[in-house]
Amino acid sequence: MDVGVLRRDGRTDPFFDGTAAGRLVVRRCEACDRWFAPDASGCPGCGEEDLGWAEASGAATLVTWTVLPKEPPVFLALVELAEGPWLHARLDGVERADLREGLALRAEFEHPDEGESYVLFRPWTERGSVR
Amino acid sequence: MGTSIVGLGMTELGRVYGRSPRRLAADAVRLAAADAGLALADLDGLLVSHGLGGSPGIELADTLGLRDLRMLSLVNSFGATAGAMVSYAAMSVLNGSATTVACVFADAPLKPRQSAGSAYDRGARGGTGGAPGKAEWYGFGGMTAALGLRSVNSHYALAAQRHMARYGTTSEQLGAIAVATRKWAAGNPLAQMREPITIEDHQRSRWVSEPLHLLDCCLVSNGAVAVIVTSADRARDLARPPVHLWGWGQGHPGDRKERGSDFGLTTGAAASGAAAMKMAGVTPADVDVCELYDCYTYTVLVTLEDYGFCAKGEGGAFAASGALGPGGSLPTNTGGGQLSAYYMWGMTPLSEAVIQARGDGGERQAPSTDVILVSGNGGILDHHSTLVVSPHEKGA
Ligand SMILES: [Zn+2]
Repeated sequence: MDVGVLRRDGRTDPFFDGTAAGRLVVRRCEACDRWFAPDASGCPGCGEEDLGWAEASGAATLVTWTVLPKEPPVFLALVELAEGPWLHARLDGVERADLREGLALRAEFEHPDEGESYVLFRPWTERGSVR
Repeated sequence: MGTSIVGLGMTELGRVYGRSPRRLAADAVRLAAADAGLALADLDGLLVSHGLGGSPGIELADTLGLRDLRMLSLVNSFGATAGAMVSYAAMSVLNGSATTVACVFADAPLKPRQSAGSAYDRGARGGTGGAPGKAEWYGFGGMTAALGLRSVNSHYALAAQRHMARYGTTSEQLGAIAVATRKWAAGNPLAQMREPITIEDHQRSRWVSEPLHLLDCCLVSNGAVAVIVTSADRARDLARPPVHLWGWGQGHPGDRKERGSDFGLTTGAAASGAAAMKMAGVTPADVDVCELYDCYTYTVLVTLEDYGFCAKGEGGAFAASGALGPGGSLPTNTGGGQLSAYYMWGMTPLSEAVIQARGDGGERQAPSTDVILVSGNGGILDHHSTLVVSPHEKGA
């Protein structure tokens, strides 16, 4: 399933600047010490609407998944960042047999010839990427 | 003093083209008033709800020529709206701010020569543009869609998969819900899908988004449904047997996508069902019939657990036991639900509850209907509403 060409829309610059540099940049409320997904519109703790940006570690675990019937199959997921927020994500380098709650994942970055860089999540162990 | 549903109006449902949501809504309100034996001018309240194919708007009042309304509003908690509207109508009648309130839902997402699935795709609409050949996607919504998450089906698949991984729920158990619902649909002349299906048919139906097969997913329909709520006192003098409102509740866990979220495991049905049953003075053991929001088979399963018909995690075994189908211990979605009959959001379960409470179910009439539980579910399990209805006055 072709990803196509990703473009910025004015709200996404820090995120795509991050992916271009191989860094996962998400939203964070400093006042509340809480992290949020990059598309979060505000902090429910304090009401701040203009959340800051911060670099997450890229470490994540698998919450749940779905497989689209494409050739090859497309693995989509909710992943939980080590910092707490959940992201809708696409998995890479997995097979159905690998999938389980809590599977350790790490952000990896794709840099297509055209359009913005984006993030995929791959299984990961202390020694590095599984595949 | 109690409150009752006294009128039910349903337009033609399904691939019904050529009428706007406003026109469909107006037709349903006229049908509901006629059903109740009321003139349109008897209405002094109008609550309006819409799907994805455009809203009737509060201008619906003008379309109907209603000039003396004391309550007029759009209501939106997505699939939980029908139950919410009926509860707001009942509360208005109880506190005297209105006497006779129509609640209507209309939608026309289907267009001629368009697939049902594409009518409900998220992200695919407006996310792309520009260059011919290669799709371009803008912003975070576009990125998520570009990576493949383009359909509500996939969001519910994520929820269902989490339940499966945590509790061992199986696809065959979800299939049991599809099969039972289709058995009920066979007795409903209004149902769009009435051919019997088996678990094997369910298993062989194509994957929409694993673990959901095509036969785990609801239909898409055009049309409108309206109900009229008034006092139980007034209901006695009207044309049809009243359907009494015993209790209502809502639950809104919201879109909590972060560590500790119960997404997919427990829904707003837990709070909503408990509140409605407490108000009604009933427990799950008292419920004769369930009319549950069944956008997916999984939604039925998790709602049954959250309402307390079985323990958390045992919804799959409960469904597979045969309890839900004709002859089962808990007749559920007796008209064929959204899976097999018609998809009018929360008006699908509510309309069937009215039909059953009146004893109008014909071939599919449930053996006992003293207590009927009705659910609504909105967003991606973000919103929930519950009604408890009965042919009998509460406490009588
Ligand atoms: Zn904050």
